Amino acid sequence: MPVRRLSEFVQALRGAGLRISPDEATQGMDAAALVGYQGRQRFHDALAMTLVKREEDRPAFEETFARFFAVTSGVASAGPQDSAMPAPVEGAGDPAAQVDDGQAGDGAESDTPDLTTQTPAELDQRLAEAAAQMDFTQMEVITQQGLYTRRLLMNMGMGAVDDRILQLDQGDATRQVRAETLRQWRREVREQAADHVRRQFLLHGAGKGRALREQTMRAVPFRHLREFQEVKTLVRRMARRLASLHQRRMKRSRRGMLDARRTLVAGIRHDGVPARLHWRQRPVQKSRVMVICDVSSSVSDAARFLLQFLYAMNDVLPRVRSFAFASRFDEISEDFQRYSPDVAVGRVLDRLSGSGTDYGEMFADFWRRCERELDSHTTVIILGDARNNYLPEGAEVLQQIRRRVKQVWWLNPEARSRWNSGDAVMDRYLPHCRLARQCASLDDLERIVDSLLKGLN
Amino acid sequence: MKTRIDSVEDIIRSFSEQGYICSERIALAVYLAAQLHKPVLVEGPPGVGKTELAKAAAAFLEAPLIRLQCYEGLDESRALYEWKYGKQLLYTQLLRDKLGGMLADTDSLEASMDRLGDLGEAFYSETFLEPRPLLHALRSEEPAVLLIDEIDKADQEFEAFLLELLSDFQISIPELGTVKARHQPLVLLTSNDQRELSDALKRRCLHLYIPYPEAELEANIVAARVPDLDARLRDQLVAFIQYLREQDMKKLPAISETLDWARALVLLHADSLEQELVADTLNLVLKTEQDVTLARELLPAWLRKLGKR
Repeated sequence: MPVRRLSEFVQALRGAGLRISPDEATQGMDAAALVGYQGRQRFHDALAMTLVKREEDRPAFEETFARFFAVTSGVASAGPQDSAMPAPVEGAGDPAAQVDDGQAGDGAESDTPDLTTQTPAELDQRLAEAAAQMDFTQMEVITQQGLYTRRLLMNMGMGAVDDRILQLDQGDATRQVRAETLRQWRREVREQAADHVRRQFLLHGAGKGRALREQTMRAVPFRHLREFQEVKTLVRRMARRLASLHQRRMKRSRRGMLDARRTLVAGIRHDGVPARLHWRQRPVQKSRVMVICDVSSSVSDAARFLLQFLYAMNDVLPRVRSFAFASRFDEISEDFQRYSPDVAVGRVLDRLSGSGTDYGEMFADFWRRCERELDSHTTVIILGDARNNYLPEGAEVLQQIRRRVKQVWWLNPEARSRWNSGDAVMDRYLPHCRLARQCASLDDLERIVDSLLKGLN
Repeated sequence: MKTRIDSVEDIIRSFSEQGYICSERIALAVYLAAQLHKPVLVEGPPGVGKTELAKAAAAFLEAPLIRLQCYEGLDESRALYEWKYGKQLLYTQLLRDKLGGMLADTDSLEASMDRLGDLGEAFYSETFLEPRPLLHALRSEEPAVLLIDEIDKADQEFEAFLLELLSDFQISIPELGTVKARHQPLVLLTSNDQRELSDALKRRCLHLYIPYPEAELEANIVAARVPDLDARLRDQLVAFIQYLREQDMKKLPAISETLDWARALVLLHADSLEQELVADTLNLVLKTEQDVTLARELLPAWLRKLGKR
């Protein structure tokens, strides 16, 4: 068992979302070989130490371990009492019955022992043997389970039973009764096989399915995202990846070079000997980001994710101030300081959502509130569809803002072709924005935040 | 250093002789690390004995312990090696005349440069090399236990710099070439989870998470470390600490605090936990005012429950 079972186990862990490199897998096998397979707890600990590197992965590991190694031990120790397999079919094995349905029985029994006469434990054994010959790691979607169950049953030798039932069906009443018993028996075995396949799918297929779903989640428009459950995890993971990427970049650009001028000047007093070296250091930039989000119904989905994303990156973007507006305009930074992003977004939406956005009024409000804090290190990001309900646009205030800050970005959840349709007035705002992008999916969002961070550091 | 470790039990026994009582998992980690020659990343809340583990392991393996404490801004020159700039400078100054004499008979600039070039190596040689903990561990005459403490406090780039050491037990120094470990050290890294460590680092290490100990284990630890404490009082004390850990504290009490408290109780000749005594000594266990206040509020109810049992 060991190597193959263990590599299947690693596959299953990967399916459950753990990232395990080939090297780690080898380590796991070495460790398992070292501690042996006798003590379950120690075996478990050795695998956990080599394969699980994050505490948050531990529940997934525990679950997979329990499920994976339960399957094996179940087969090995299953007595008749704790097997879920049906008992042998009454009369299927006794000679009278064999005579009764003559040829069919003989044909089936010549190569493999008749399935219907086997004890539950034997059936379990057969199932395990048949399953061992199959490769379940290729399962990807949930609908493949039927196919795999059928294949598994065929491998067990269920084909002969199927034939027998067909033949019995064509006979007289007593034979048809027997066919019905057999059918019932077959149903029960099939359930067990299906159960086995389901477990295997959970071990192997679910992971691949998830990768597929993740791709979809990244590309799908924000408003459909709520249908996915794992979206929050995904956002957090994307943010963390991006954050660690930029953290490294930030540190590197901060490293100093030899400051020849200062070193020489300082050396003058030691008769020109450069006794102390001076290093040139870039002053750390204090960049500040201000986000203004339209949270009216048409844009609130995008706002939710933008805010979640920005606040999940707290490590690299410490100075984010956020504002939201729909019918009213208000600062929402405090909600995010006090609550986790998910909760905060909910609260903000409750407080401010509504319809009838007025961009002109919003710009004026923002200017009144934050004029004195706008400086050349500030980036202002506006998320909105620029649908102004035919009110005055207030583009001149945006221009004023632009003059005071480093840059203004506009993110629009709608497609570029619709930026000026109906009551949307993007063309009035565009001249004042250094960058305007469509922001309709997580992929877009990731790209935007990435370039934001590149621009800041 | 001991080259053969017979079994995990061997480690547990030796550790407990030293007064380091540990769960089987911890001993298993040391066993695997020594057998597979892999570093161990030890994580867990502060005060659960991560650093102690390294000391115990060093004593068990009869190997010297080399410790590198990490902090923000730690760089290669502090961790690995440094050129003794001052000494180099002093030597060039002292040797100025000698150098002048050496170069006197050369007639062209190129010739002097050549001669200096030969000499330049001398200034970047062992004489001017200041080894720091990592280089010490690699060049140690006998295999050592290397403790890289609180790696999460160091910068991310330092972490990247460690990768070569952790996977191949060697390190590249531009002027000297690659330094390979004479004997592979047993490397332990500890982290308090201040920041997420990189996947690359985690991939190269075995991972050991030390949680707060369960009641039974904690009682054993107290018994080993503070043998004078009355057994009944010890159980009460451990139960109270375990109870505190379930509360919404700012900083949960760790083993080290349990031990401090136990020692204090021995000094005070206490024989059971009483309201006044606990209230007076609580600040040995809890380190913020808020926690102490909260614990004082919870105390009477808990003592009442204890009395009923």
